[in-house]
Amino acid sequence: MTRGSRLTAVTTRLRSVPSRLRDRWPPLSPRKTLRIARWEVEKSAGTIDRRTAAVALLMLVVGGLAAPVVIAQGPGLDDGIYRVGVEPGDPYYEVVQASDKFDARPGKASAAALNGGEIDLLVTDRGPIIPRSTRKGQAAYAEFRSAVVEYNDGQMHLEDNQSAAFPVAVDVFYESRGGSSFAPDGGTDDGAGSTDGTDDDGSGTSTGGDGSDTGEDGAAGGGGTDADGDDGVPAANLGGTGGFGGGTSSGDPSSISPPFPFSSLVLAFLFIVPMNFVIQAYGSTIINERINRRGELLLVAPVSRRDIIAGKTLPYLLGLVAVTVGIAWAIGGGPASVGAVIPIALLFLASTFVGGMFARSFKELTFVTIAVSVFLTSYVFVPAIFTDVTPIALISPLTVVVMDLQGQSVGLGEFTFATAPFLLTSLVLFTLGAGTYREEDMFSQRPVHRKALDAIATRVRSVGSVALVTMLLLPFVFLAELLAIALVFILPRSVSVPALFLTVAVIEEIAKSIHVYAGFEYARFERSKRAAVVLGIASGVGFFLAEKLTLLVQLVQLQTLPEGQSAFPDAAVGGVDPLVALGLLALPLLLHTVTATLSALGAQRSRRAYLGAFCVAVAVHLLYNLGVSGLVA
Amino acid sequence: MITVEDLRKEYGGFVAVDGSTFSVDSGEVFGVVGPNGAGKTTTLKTLAGLVEPTSGTVSVAGRAADDPEMRRNLGFLPEESPLYEEMTANSYLEFFADLYDVPDDVAAERITEALDRLDLEHRERRIGDMSKGMKRKVAIARSLVNDPDVLIYDEPASGLDPLTTNYIIEFTEQLAEQGKTIVFSAHNLYHVESICDRVIVMNHGEIIARGTLDEIRREHGSTEYHVYTDVELDAAEPAGDERYESVVGDMDAVEALRSQAAALGGSVVDIQTRDPSLEDIFLDIAGETPEQASEGERDRTVEAET
Repeated sequence: MTRGSRLTAVTTRLRSVPSRLRDRWPPLSPRKTLRIARWEVEKSAGTIDRRTAAVALLMLVVGGLAAPVVIAQGPGLDDGIYRVGVEPGDPYYEVVQASDKFDARPGKASAAALNGGEIDLLVTDRGPIIPRSTRKGQAAYAEFRSAVVEYNDGQMHLEDNQSAAFPVAVDVFYESRGGSSFAPDGGTDDGAGSTDGTDDDGSGTSTGGDGSDTGEDGAAGGGGTDADGDDGVPAANLGGTGGFGGGTSSGDPSSISPPFPFSSLVLAFLFIVPMNFVIQAYGSTIINERINRRGELLLVAPVSRRDIIAGKTLPYLLGLVAVTVGIAWAIGGGPASVGAVIPIALLFLASTFVGGMFARSFKELTFVTIAVSVFLTSYVFVPAIFTDVTPIALISPLTVVVMDLQGQSVGLGEFTFATAPFLLTSLVLFTLGAGTYREEDMFSQRPVHRKALDAIATRVRSVGSVALVTMLLLPFVFLAELLAIALVFILPRSVSVPALFLTVAVIEEIAKSIHVYAGFEYARFERSKRAAVVLGIASGVGFFLAEKLTLLVQLVQLQTLPEGQSAFPDAAVGGVDPLVALGLLALPLLLHTVTATLSALGAQRSRRAYLGAFCVAVAVHLLYNLGVSGLVA
Repeated sequence: MITVEDLRKEYGGFVAVDGSTFSVDSGEVFGVVGPNGAGKTTTLKTLAGLVEPTSGTVSVAGRAADDPEMRRNLGFLPEESPLYEEMTANSYLEFFADLYDVPDDVAAERITEALDRLDLEHRERRIGDMSKGMKRKVAIARSLVNDPDVLIYDEPASGLDPLTTNYIIEFTEQLAEQGKTIVFSAHNLYHVESICDRVIVMNHGEIIARGTLDEIRREHGSTEYHVYTDVELDAAEPAGDERYESVVGDMDAVEALRSQAAALGGSVVDIQTRDPSLEDIFLDIAGETPEQASEGERDRTVEAET
């Protein structure tokens, strides 16, 4: 073949790429997809009798009416959490009664009760207010101080005619009772222990004057007290005898520094709850197509597999989107919240879809859906707890929701970092599941691991497809590595970093070799060393190119953490000598091609040989990671 | 209309169809026969584009079997009736008509006509509440909503009572008279003999005989001569009315029996000829009955899967 004819052949082949892609992945037909979606709704509606529908509707209405009330009240988990020894005749008694967080114990207003652990705070008009010297006692003390301010402000707001004859300015000065005393925890001290803080310059100021501002200013006055760092407990304005110099620490959940975003977290969790129910119905409809071969006739109809899958998924996705928008509207979430929750919903559906395609019975499906529920709920919820603590929290899109609910701005980089892996993983899962949405796989009763291999093998046909599948697996790699970071984050560095090196090596070697193994198992490729080398190199190059996606971590500065550097060394090369940096960029290519080739050489022989070669590849990868880590350090 | 060349389909290590080549002419009723596990269903599913061949080619009306456009002109009836039991017959058929882009008014007309011809009542009843025969009729009606030229029916009367079976076989004959090209599989060879123009006989994934029924009989079967005598000959069986029946394969043997009877003072009182059935031919070629072949196939499949 001459050079010119070769060029012509290549050009012709390249020109045919779009049409070949169209043949292989025909575009979605919106009309067919919507028709199937409508049918899915009608069909599912037919399975619910009127009584069940009525009960479900009733529950929805009751839930809908109750939710705003619950939300308005806020989470009541700390109601009556602090036990206060105070007598009914005490000026502070009404303050204690007015706050949900206190549980007044009239008969226990004694030092003995405090020392015996029966109360957390002792309030008497005979002496200083004494908290128990525990974290809870300190929290009770801080809460009491806030409650007094709130009570006083409330009393001033009771004035009906706040703009009577002339503006009135009210200044509230809180006088210390001479310092707080902490009772020893279970000790024998009489309560007159060390005095902590004697500052008495409480200076909350409430300024009336124009009537309408009175209240706000009054409240600001209260806030001013705290902002000033004044630790004195303000006196109740009903003839109280003054406050005490206060402790400076607090164990109240909202006072943890950085603060624990309790309310926002609970509200954010509301988004996840419906998903756990919807995937049960979605999983059922997927496996229903497979039981008794019911989906066979759809496969014969002139609709593509993608039309069918999209049509069957659309009602559930739209339902979740509608619920998400509704919840966001109810709890004050913005577009950022909705935008962050939708990828979570997609991942719930995509995981369930794959589970529904692999499960052999409803019993197995139940296991799958519960596993999806537990794993994904944990995955999105736990990191969000650390919203204000560490950038690792952003591995969960729920963190974006928490930030949004707290009124924090969410940067595009943070949003992308939190949501892109979920979106990409969802797409890959749907693609993987769609590979088995065909007669030969849908109705077979092979074990789950064989079906997983089936799904992978359907995507592997040529050297190019091996590289492509490796690239497609990258979102899984990314998600798994982020999860690994989150899991080892609490361990000591001496343990977490080596553990991450090993975990990362295992995850990445699986991603580079599992489809090559499937290709050999399903006779997609000739079992020869030459083929193994070619496929290994293709997989390694594919991984190298896709791995550059991990630079995404820089969007949230994750590489500044030692764990981030361990998991994503490519993202941590900044600041080194250019030659070293160049080497660090080229070395991964060498690493990935070598280790992928090692595994491929094992895969072309047998399963046992593959497992052995895989272990060698992991060892090489681990040594490389340790080496690069030392070089960067 | 349909061309199959060197079709091979493997499932793991199991060869379901091994090198099948045949063609079906337009307007023909073509039978695919053989025991369970012979490869009939896999062959038919390949024609319908449901199963991808491991090697070989399949084309229907000039289009590859996996071409979505081909499916517009195809009606497929699988062995079971995998219907959506929550739906009514009407809504089920309307849904499929919609997927085949049949205009609503045309679809309504076709559905009514098909259900009338199939004598299906209770069209607004949930399919799950229908009898097996009624479900089969709905499935047949579904194969007709797009008015296809090619029908692929896999064991259309499998598991039905004799009355419904005859009804469905007759209905299939009517479709053939309308000029539809029908590929029809059955392990009940009587049904195939009654309506098919040509057949292929499959066993263990291979075609072991092909042609018109006469051609197959000529090639693989032989006419039996049932000779009745009034005296008992060697190997004769009592046939009642003091007659004895001997079965031989050619006229020379008949003459030999006549001589034997005369020697014993008797005579040949009747001679009847009987053509071999497909079942007899299958026994002749495969060396086992269709039932025995089915048993062996099950064992072979289990071995391949383990």
